[in-house]
Amino acid sequence: MNDFNRDELRRALRGTADHRNDTFGSIVEATRGLNFARSLSRRRFFVAGGATVSFAALVAACGGSESTGIARLGDAPTPNELVEADVTDIALLRTATSLEYNAIFVYEAAASAGVLTGDTAEIAKRFLDDHRAHAAATASLTESLGGKAYTQPNPRLQSIYIEPALTLIVGDEANGVPATDDPVADVLALAYALETIAGATYQAYVPLLDDKSLRAAAMGIGDQEARHAALLGVVLNPDRLVSSMGLSIAAEYQEDTDTPAAAYASPSAFGTQAPVPVTLGAANESGIRTTVNLETPSLNSMVYEYLDAEG
Amino acid sequence: MSTTPVTKNSDKFATTPPRRPTSADIELLALAQSAELTARDLYEQAVAAGAGGDHVASLVAVAAHHDAYAQSLSALLGTDAPQVRNDALFSSLQSGFGSDTESMALAAHELENTLVVTHTDLLGLLEGTEGAALVASILIGESRHCAAMAALAGKSPVSDIDLFLTTSDVASLAPQA
Repeated sequence: MNDFNRDELRRALRGTADHRNDTFGSIVEATRGLNFARSLSRRRFFVAGGATVSFAALVAACGGSESTGIARLGDAPTPNELVEADVTDIALLRTATSLEYNAIFVYEAAASAGVLTGDTAEIAKRFLDDHRAHAAATASLTESLGGKAYTQPNPRLQSIYIEPALTLIVGDEANGVPATDDPVADVLALAYALETIAGATYQAYVPLLDDKSLRAAAMGIGDQEARHAALLGVVLNPDRLVSSMGLSIAAEYQEDTDTPAAAYASPSAFGTQAPVPVTLGAANESGIRTTVNLETPSLNSMVYEYLDAEG
Repeated sequence: MSTTPVTKNSDKFATTPPRRPTSADIELLALAQSAELTARDLYEQAVAAGAGGDHVASLVAVAAHHDAYAQSLSALLGTDAPQVRNDALFSSLQSGFGSDTESMALAAHELENTLVVTHTDLLGLLEGTEGAALVASILIGESRHCAAMAALAGKSPVSDIDLFLTTSDVASLAPQA
């Protein structure tokens, strides 16, 4: 096992969790107002009174001051007004920037922990520089459209993908998660999946962007993300650069397996929107390792502008 | 960890550009289809000449990829699809797609870069979202081909990293806006 600094990675994980809690505090705040306490006390009343409460007594207990003549049971909570959250070009660009910061976080954490050395460290350093440039570009585009740039990792993606993935790599003794046996391979596998998802995200945004020039600009970055993934595919699987899975080609050119490799320079003809599985961490007692499926940001992962106002 | 995918049908979207290709889009997508058929023919010529070495299966797969791109563009264009390669482009690149794997891979690297640049330019011109989405998915595939061809040419992902990552300065096939 490589002698890398797990404490550095753990510190980075704790820091991002604190930020995520701050961001989602506004969302939690928005869900307040539902009268849970009142519902609970009424339920307790039923328990205390046993089953002898008559229907008439229930109606009397639940009624308001104005009678509609229609019996009703319980108090309906005051509905909260839902925030209008349009998927605008600004929201898409802010989300793209946040995804760049997810990647920056992973490469910075891996660098500070010293997981990668030599050639892989050099490659990761170049990728880190590229993601910083991409983040600056998408932030600049956001501001050119009159929006406010978002310069933090995407909180939801950080919590459902990045933190669990890094926990599998560094381990979590308190929760019985052992550290991986091969941190270098796991970090490279995670990077491959992240870069693939980053390219897929820009691809997915093309038909959603209203401004044609933004589509080209987005795919200028998506092109680079795809090349990052392909370079890692070359490193991880140098013997088979292009997958034959799903292609109608002569049998002599097909791979000798029904199971695709974990990485290729070119895994499929088209850029795909499918989840990207990445297997990480130590094997359990049955010899099975955990697979995390990374997906492109969905509607509930977008960094809408209203989140700033509530923050 | 499954999350709701973003779809264009969602009422969360404020405006909607046209879905189907406009008449101007059809000309642009037809250009793209001819370019893809050209690429397919160039790779097939290289395989027939004996290029590829241990990686000949990867060249066969890339030829199939370009054929798939042409077929998908044909499905979008219908009867407007040209279904023929760009002969001028084929002739200008033909000599590079011979039996020597390294020089062929470098010629293929330049071709893939040309296609990436062309498709990026097309995205700035296309109105319809179906055509734009298809071109974007092709572009991702061809970006990855660039890195694959750099590796096939024997280049190092570390000391030659720019060949893998940087879109080279090639001329676009797309009309300029």
